[in-house]
Amino acid sequence: MATKNFKCIACGKSSLSKNEIGINKKLLGMKSKNFYCLECLANLLEVEPQDILDKIEDFKRDGCKLFE
Amino acid sequence: MTVANSSSEIIYADNAATTKPDAEALALMFELQEKFFANPSSAYKLSRPLKKILQESREKIAACINAKPQEIFFTSGGTESDNWAIKSSVLESLPERPNIITSAVEHKAILNSCAAMKNLGCSVTKLPVDKFGAVNPVDLREKILPQTKIVSVMLANNEVGTIQPVKNLANVAHEHGKIFHSDAVQAVGHIPVDVDEFGVDMLSASAHKFNGTKGVGFLYVRTGLNIAPYIDGGGQEFSRRAGTENVPAVAAMALALEKNCRDMNVTAKKISACEKILLDKLKSNGVDFILNGGDNRLPGHLSLSFKDCDGETLLHRLDLKNICVSTGSACNSQQVQKSHVLQALNISEDYIYGTIRITFGKENSCYEAEIIGESLTDILRTI
Repeated sequence: MATKNFKCIACGKSSLSKNEIGINKKLLGMKSKNFYCLECLANLLEVEPQDILDKIEDFKRDGCKLFE
Repeated sequence: MTVANSSSEIIYADNAATTKPDAEALALMFELQEKFFANPSSAYKLSRPLKKILQESREKIAACINAKPQEIFFTSGGTESDNWAIKSSVLESLPERPNIITSAVEHKAILNSCAAMKNLGCSVTKLPVDKFGAVNPVDLREKILPQTKIVSVMLANNEVGTIQPVKNLANVAHEHGKIFHSDAVQAVGHIPVDVDEFGVDMLSASAHKFNGTKGVGFLYVRTGLNIAPYIDGGGQEFSRRAGTENVPAVAAMALALEKNCRDMNVTAKKISACEKILLDKLKSNGVDFILNGGDNRLPGHLSLSFKDCDGETLLHRLDLKNICVSTGSACNSQQVQKSHVLQALNISEDYIYGTIRITFGKENSCYEAEIIGESLTDILRTI
């Protein structure tokens, strides 16, 4: 599901997904106003995109409502 | 110098949650599991070695805490031991609406056992703590009631590591003729524990916190204290705790505890050095943080609160760098719940949410402490 009006601050990708917004909040802080797409977030944190996807799955499994 | 954890090696710094099982203890457990499968309660000769192993394990564990072997009762772990101590102390006198005294910073195994007894008609008194998490024996003296049945205060706190003045608290309880229990799950195998010196009537321990395996622990019950069994069934454990004993796990627990007690001073020095390196690194990097729990803490046990950030974010960012720590707050859906321990310590709002717990163990190195310090600093600069 896409979330309106949120663009990746690094590459400009538009319509960031709920998962992307959620993982930004989890990994950059709940007060974070700048959001990154999955690839740019992985690049920023110097990890593989799969590491970020694994985290998203963990949060979903735990029932976190920030994710789809 | 920036040190990054670029290797795929995991740095495990959450030893208060659980410890890595000692290799020798684990090998012993597997060996016994394979070779001695008989029921230790059976009468044939196949069971004879199991009876002997159980007795020797009881003796080893008793020696580690200065107890008598017959005062050690094997359980499934700390939670069962705590439930047994609290519930069996008050269940027989429920019609008299007994009172339980505990502290505001206990583990949920104690607090929820108390809550269950409250639902059955008991009253529960929670003693406050000071800003370091310590209970004042004067507060206990003021709160003891004629109907108080048991006082239960932990030996060392699982979140902030504060060591409680258990000896003084036990003295106060005994002056009033009350039972004194201590949840020593976080302390046994890490600091000297002497049940005679402390004067406790009951004490809980869990093997996986001192490099034993999960699912096994013990409750020390002083000779002459007649509390009812918590688990009913057969006549195991001197007819006070039913259920076929997990002999391999018990033997592994005894070996792990013996080794931890033998190496206690060396380990404490090593992990205190790790602690100092990490704290020095954060200070030299200009990081704004509070070290919770004061000076009288478990060695290598750090509860750190960072200003204006999320502990959960720190945990997950460290996890992405292969560093395992835990947080002082729990995220429940979109709500971050503050830890009851940190609230009891009156940690200010701008720091309480940014709390993580880093607990070093005997497997950690000073180099790992340096990596954690640098990684934390890097993360804090970007959130």
